[in-house]
Amino acid sequence: MTMNQGSDDKEPRHLRRILAIWLPLAAVVDVLFWFLVGPHVPPGDLTSTASSNQFDFNILFVIALPVMIGVWVFLGYSIRNWSAKRVGSAEPKGGAAARGNLRAQVWWIGLTTVIVLFLAGFGTVELVIGNGSGGGEGPNPAWAPTGANAAELASATWSPTDNHVLPVQVIGQQWQFTYRYPTFGGFESSQLILPAGTEIEFNVTSLDVIHSFWAYQLSVKADANPGVNNIAYTKTTKTGNFTVRCSELCGIWHGAMYNYGKVVSKSAFESWATSTETANASNTANLAPYASTYTPDANGAAGGYYEDGTVTPYSTVEVYGAKQPAS
Amino acid sequence: MTLTAERLDDHSGDVATPPKPAKNNEGSPRSGWLSQHLGTAIVGFIIGYVVGHWLGNYIGSSYAYIANSGTNAIADTLGLTLGVLGWFAGIGALNYPLAKIVGKKPPQDFKEVQDWSKYFRYTTDHKVVGKQYVVGVLLFLFTGGLLAMAIRTELLSPVTHVFGPGTYITIVSEHGTIMMMMATSVIIGPLGNYFVPLMIGSRRMAFPQIEAFSFWCFTAGYLVIFSALIYGGFPTGWTGYAPLQTQAGAGMVSYLLGFAVIGLGMMSAGFNLAATIINYRAPGMTWSRVPIFVWAILATSALLTLATPTLFAAGLFGLLDKTAQTAFYVTEHGGSSYLWENLFWFFGHPEVYIMALPGFGLVAEIMPVFCRKPLFAYKVAAAGMVGVALLSFFVWQHHLFQSGINPDMRPLFMLTTELISIPTGFIYLVGMGTLYKAKIRFEIPMLFALALFFNFLIGGVTGVFLSDVPVDVTVHGGFFVLSHFHYTIMGGLLFAFMAGLYYWMPKMTGKMLNKRIGKWHFWTMFIFFNLTFFPMFIIGLLGQPRRVFEYAHNLQGLNDFSSISAFLLGGSFLIFVWNLLWSLWISPEKAPPNPWESLGLEWQTATPIPLHNFERIPVILTDPYHYSEEGAPDVADFGDQQLVGSSSAAAGDITNSN
Amino acid sequence: MSETVKKNSLPSDTPEEREFELRAAVGSIWSGGRLFIGMYTFLFASLAFSYFYLRSSNNGLLWRPHHVTAPTSFGWAIYALTLALALLAIFGQIRLRKGGVADWQVAGWTGVACGLLAIFLQIWELQKLAFYPGSSGYASTFVGWVVINIMTLIGVTYWLETTLARSLRMRKEIGGSSPELSTHPSAQLFRANVSSMTYFCGFTALAATLFFSMFYLM
Repeated sequence: MTMNQGSDDKEPRHLRRILAIWLPLAAVVDVLFWFLVGPHVPPGDLTSTASSNQFDFNILFVIALPVMIGVWVFLGYSIRNWSAKRVGSAEPKGGAAARGNLRAQVWWIGLTTVIVLFLAGFGTVELVIGNGSGGGEGPNPAWAPTGANAAELASATWSPTDNHVLPVQVIGQQWQFTYRYPTFGGFESSQLILPAGTEIEFNVTSLDVIHSFWAYQLSVKADANPGVNNIAYTKTTKTGNFTVRCSELCGIWHGAMYNYGKVVSKSAFESWATSTETANASNTANLAPYASTYTPDANGAAGGYYEDGTVTPYSTVEVYGAKQPAS
Repeated sequence: MTLTAERLDDHSGDVATPPKPAKNNEGSPRSGWLSQHLGTAIVGFIIGYVVGHWLGNYIGSSYAYIANSGTNAIADTLGLTLGVLGWFAGIGALNYPLAKIVGKKPPQDFKEVQDWSKYFRYTTDHKVVGKQYVVGVLLFLFTGGLLAMAIRTELLSPVTHVFGPGTYITIVSEHGTIMMMMATSVIIGPLGNYFVPLMIGSRRMAFPQIEAFSFWCFTAGYLVIFSALIYGGFPTGWTGYAPLQTQAGAGMVSYLLGFAVIGLGMMSAGFNLAATIINYRAPGMTWSRVPIFVWAILATSALLTLATPTLFAAGLFGLLDKTAQTAFYVTEHGGSSYLWENLFWFFGHPEVYIMALPGFGLVAEIMPVFCRKPLFAYKVAAAGMVGVALLSFFVWQHHLFQSGINPDMRPLFMLTTELISIPTGFIYLVGMGTLYKAKIRFEIPMLFALALFFNFLIGGVTGVFLSDVPVDVTVHGGFFVLSHFHYTIMGGLLFAFMAGLYYWMPKMTGKMLNKRIGKWHFWTMFIFFNLTFFPMFIIGLLGQPRRVFEYAHNLQGLNDFSSISAFLLGGSFLIFVWNLLWSLWISPEKAPPNPWESLGLEWQTATPIPLHNFERIPVILTDPYHYSEEGAPDVADFGDQQLVGSSSAAAGDITNSN
Repeated sequence: MSETVKKNSLPSDTPEEREFELRAAVGSIWSGGRLFIGMYTFLFASLAFSYFYLRSSNNGLLWRPHHVTAPTSFGWAIYALTLALALLAIFGQIRLRKGGVADWQVAGWTGVACGLLAIFLQIWELQKLAFYPGSSGYASTFVGWVVINIMTLIGVTYWLETTLARSLRMRKEIGGSSPELSTHPSAQLFRANVSSMTYFCGFTALAATLFFSMFYLM
């Protein structure tokens, strides 16, 4: 990829020089990044999606860094060597040769196309084998771990030994997250506790406006939409703590909408879940039966629609779970 | 629809008739305080608002749910709508459209009052509109900038609430919305309107009435969006997601209507510029001789004209939800909150390129001037602009990767989003090719142009990160994406705007902007911009979502660093204002006719530019990039007019460098 | 700076320049008309997208309970008037090209009457709806369509009316028995405007057909 016009002039071969600066620099930066920074790049390795998304991050970084360094080296080299002061009385070459260089253009377009297509392909593969990479896939996930369908069933069970997918419901509302565990009688908790080494199915929904369930260290992010069951998968790999934040603007206290969760051992989880199920039983009985979505009150988040109950245009079909208005 | 064609109606059919001698004051409007100007527009707005508000209350009083609620969205909507209408009537935007009903012929160009007060009037002179736009976008910019300072003040501490959450979210929302509105017009409004006719050798705009209308829409939009503060603000950010939108109070009406009004302005601006570029290119200006800035404006105009109606429709539906109680965005009543997300981003993504392309074009336009070399790969650059414009309609769902819409589409939108980085990357090919073996003059515009290449590289590459669905799980909705789009919009577009202002101010005002203050402005803006926003990438990666007032304590150091840099960045804008004051009023320095020795057509008219730009319509002989070329042809044949500076520039004279 | 500008100076005005600017102005009206159609296409597309999006998501089974339909008699009448307006505009333009100025005037003013009547009916229809605006997805998009249709009808009627009024007044300005056929620049611009307007009328008729079938027939 040389833009040098003829080698008979005494000009140094600038592109070779730039290449000579760029190549070692890029290589060193990449190696340093991969070994020193790479392992600390978010979102860490608490879950399978966190690990694979961290790997994605690092792949993107080691491709992006040389590209950026290349451009910067070129810019720096140009600014240093071709300033009017330094060039002195010599004039740049105008004319047709300076207006375009087919090889340079073809190389540039070819290289960027190859990089971009590789990244798109790589991203797609990672997305598919990562079961959606922890992103919300909506009510009908396209990529799901084996056994995920069973978790949908009302009869789904989970125990430390059976390796089942654990369904957990995340309910966003202004301005907190609550969690329900359908395999444990559908009890509700303000704390998200997960067993390690388990495939988790998050069923994310909202009671009012759009929130986004972002479990940072789990590398799970799914918008919580009212009336929609947004499903995301991840597999916990070890025990640890994580933060949950709302990452979609949901009103004035959006900034205060966060809590903390834990990944604990399977047996610890089971004992916590069963004891909480028992302790909360009377509360759970007062809750709406577990459903994939809820309609919290007669007028939803909108408020003020048809205060007159007789014309409230609610569906006669039970698609919203148990909290149907009486009318 | 006001298709007008003014000046031609003067001519009789007889081609042999010599030009009519000018007659003073014939047919010119009244001047003085009783004529139509900004003052009457403000009065019109107030009258319209009062009438509309009363009407809305009258209508609303018969509905129990409004009468008992204490707020009345119908009154707010009607008040602001009629206010905007009164604004148009007051400024005189409706004069010609109403005269058309009785078949009056179009008013002549440039028949307005020509004293200083023309800057406060509805005018058909694109040069006046351009200057009006400079003031207009700076008004938006500084308002948004002050709000940004307020945001950074709140974020100095992870918990302390300087403003309280309600005020804070209003500040965030207003900042985002005002800045987005500013960014749609920041280059195309001032510099596009001012310089496109000059660069294509035209003596007029295709639709000067519509051009003026676009500016007064822009200002009306400012009033409307600003009124949100009086209504108590809105909590949705600039994206206005439903159902939060449906839940929000009266300020939301200002947001929806503000975007609709600004949208009208964007459509009119793009409409006029596209028609002008297509039809008013001077003889000989073939598509391969069109300056690259004009290509960028053409691509942007196409996006403005075609994408903005979707925003208009989305805003209209939102207003209907607020007033007529429809349920477009209300899931429980058969609507869908995803509908807003799709409509908004279907506009929103082309919008991103509406902001990026003029910056690219501007920088590509001035690089050759300061490199003394032709533009490298002109055709690739033009193709890139068109390619970006086309592709930008097919990427919008990357804003919805985690929203729960159909996951099957994700690989497709990941692909299209990454594909769009190919034509976007062409700007680097063009810039680097032009720099190669150049003779760079580090004037202020060139410094800003080079800074764009630095900043946009970071902004663009992080865009590729965001388009990758697995990585997006971490970075979506966090400070990473916030920093990304500040790097592209502020680091790209605003730096290009500054480059353009420093570059063209000598032509617009006949005065040079001071270079010494300019250097201070550039270096402070460049350094503090990067110091403000680079830490935000790290903040985002460490888990801070956007639009929050509380954050993890361990991020306070980075946030404070960013905040203090932001204040200093604000200070650099004060230097900019000081430079404007100093160079234009306090100690003006007369600019040479062609201070940068540009070959561009716009530099070859007289300064100050005559009312009709060119005494004769120039005949274009070649493109304006024949720098450092022996025996290069002149850019244009002006008939009897003197060519200014072009021949010496072609020979590479550097007397004016440094 | 304005004081140094040569006031009231007229630029050079050779026949070639006059011809060039005339062509540019005619071209602008032509491309402006098409751009306007492009804009409206995206506006209509946004509405159509909303319709089909809500229809296919059918949230809460509330897309269209009991298949509620807006009053079909109004629908037919408004649709027929829109169609008539477009056909009259097209017919008028054909006659105008052949010099039938009177035919164009009669057809045009009839078209304006159709447009005004359609606007009136479209507003009146809102009084006759059998459903609340927010009662279903269909109801919402229908109200959206009514608003957009009123805007469109006002625009089309206005555009048709202004060309008619212009042609009347132009006779006085440039004289001659058939100014619509003259080579006078005003007349050329006028014909370009009529042509763009007619295209737009045709376009709105197509859009009206689409939305009429979506809201009343489907």
